[in-house]
Amino acid sequence: MNQLHPREQNTLIRTLFLVSLCVALMFVDQRFNHLEVVRSNISLVLSPLRYLVSLPVITVNWANEWLSSHTDILNENAVLKADGRILNARLQKMQVLQAENTRLRNMLGSSRKLADQVIVAELLSVDQNPYRQLIEINKGTNDSVALGHAVIDDFGIMGQVIHVNQYTSTTILISDPEHAIPVQFIRSGTRSVAFGNGSVDQLELRYLPATADIEVGDELVTSGLGGRFPADYPVAKVISITKDLTLGFVTVLAKPLARLDSSREVLVVKPNNGIAPE
Amino acid sequence: MLNLRYFVIFLSLLVGLILMILPLPEAVQIYRPHWVALILIYWNMALPGRVGPWIAFIIGIIVDTSQGTLIGQHALALVIIIYINQNFHQRIRVMSLIQQAIYVFGLLMISQVIIVWVEGIMGRPPPILAFFGAPFVGMLIWPWVFVILRDIRRKANIN
Repeated sequence: MNQLHPREQNTLIRTLFLVSLCVALMFVDQRFNHLEVVRSNISLVLSPLRYLVSLPVITVNWANEWLSSHTDILNENAVLKADGRILNARLQKMQVLQAENTRLRNMLGSSRKLADQVIVAELLSVDQNPYRQLIEINKGTNDSVALGHAVIDDFGIMGQVIHVNQYTSTTILISDPEHAIPVQFIRSGTRSVAFGNGSVDQLELRYLPATADIEVGDELVTSGLGGRFPADYPVAKVISITKDLTLGFVTVLAKPLARLDSSREVLVVKPNNGIAPE
Repeated sequence: MLNLRYFVIFLSLLVGLILMILPLPEAVQIYRPHWVALILIYWNMALPGRVGPWIAFIIGIIVDTSQGTLIGQHALALVIIIYINQNFHQRIRVMSLIQQAIYVFGLLMISQVIIVWVEGIMGRPPPILAFFGAPFVGMLIWPWVFVILRDIRRKANIN
């Protein structure tokens, strides 16, 4: 270091300091949540940029809607009304079932399950880190979205919220390699955990014993264990089961039911104050 | 007056940030060049006194926030390549654009290796070869980035 020109020495010291600062920040961000405030504030400043980038897509969608022919809109209207009627009919049945459920629970002296509150949100067309599966939605703390809220689309669970600022939030999808979701088989009640592996078509269920009662085509729903995801929302469908005789475990692959790569409108589910069944 | 000129630098970095989050078809996303790094390298070459490790650090933190990576990940990569650039830029400035592009490829590769290395330490899936495609694209577009920013710098009369 003595051979360096004083100004170069200065730059080296500055750089070494910044490098150690970066390492320290990464360590803190990985282990603790203290930096969440920093991230939230910076991403608040960035939200206009995100909306700006989304603008072309929003404009094209708006133009498409505006230019739809009258006939198309009438037809779409009719189809939606018919769907609405069918769903209302099913809803009536569900309300009856819910009432019966509440009565039975009261009889057993166990606590009631409350309905989940949902917030409608839209995807912002921004790309994030290509190594991860993260999406950005247009609701934030101003709309009472908070960390840990589950995000679903019409077909199943998409993921959970991991960063929020006032106007937007970042959601991690269930297909992200860092994500694991507790699930339950509808048919047999077997519980397991579904891990993402980077692919939008596949989730891995690990550590299932070879004796587990599972078949290809079985549907998985959230089990509600761990308190993060509300129970009984559809997650995936089993597509392959590979038995590894040497280890006594099976490797199960399941295809997520949510349209992880194409859904544009999503719902954010606020957990009701987790009254778990006994 | 002074501030207006430096505002141009800030604006160019903002454009870089926008280019980093512009939606692209999924197959192509992974080859997106590191726009912010390219723009930062240029300004560090042109104004080493003004645009240095500190700016690299701050911009790196902003990129980390926008990309959803660990705070400090891109900052580390950018600080290191800007430091290297500060030592070499005087020799590089006089080279032809093609040779410069190869040098920039080297810097981008180092930056990419650092980013992928941190991902690996975190236990995330191992890198696929495509992860290292972005520096190639960066190398190819360097001549344009250099020429465009140089023209902007001359028009705005910075330093």
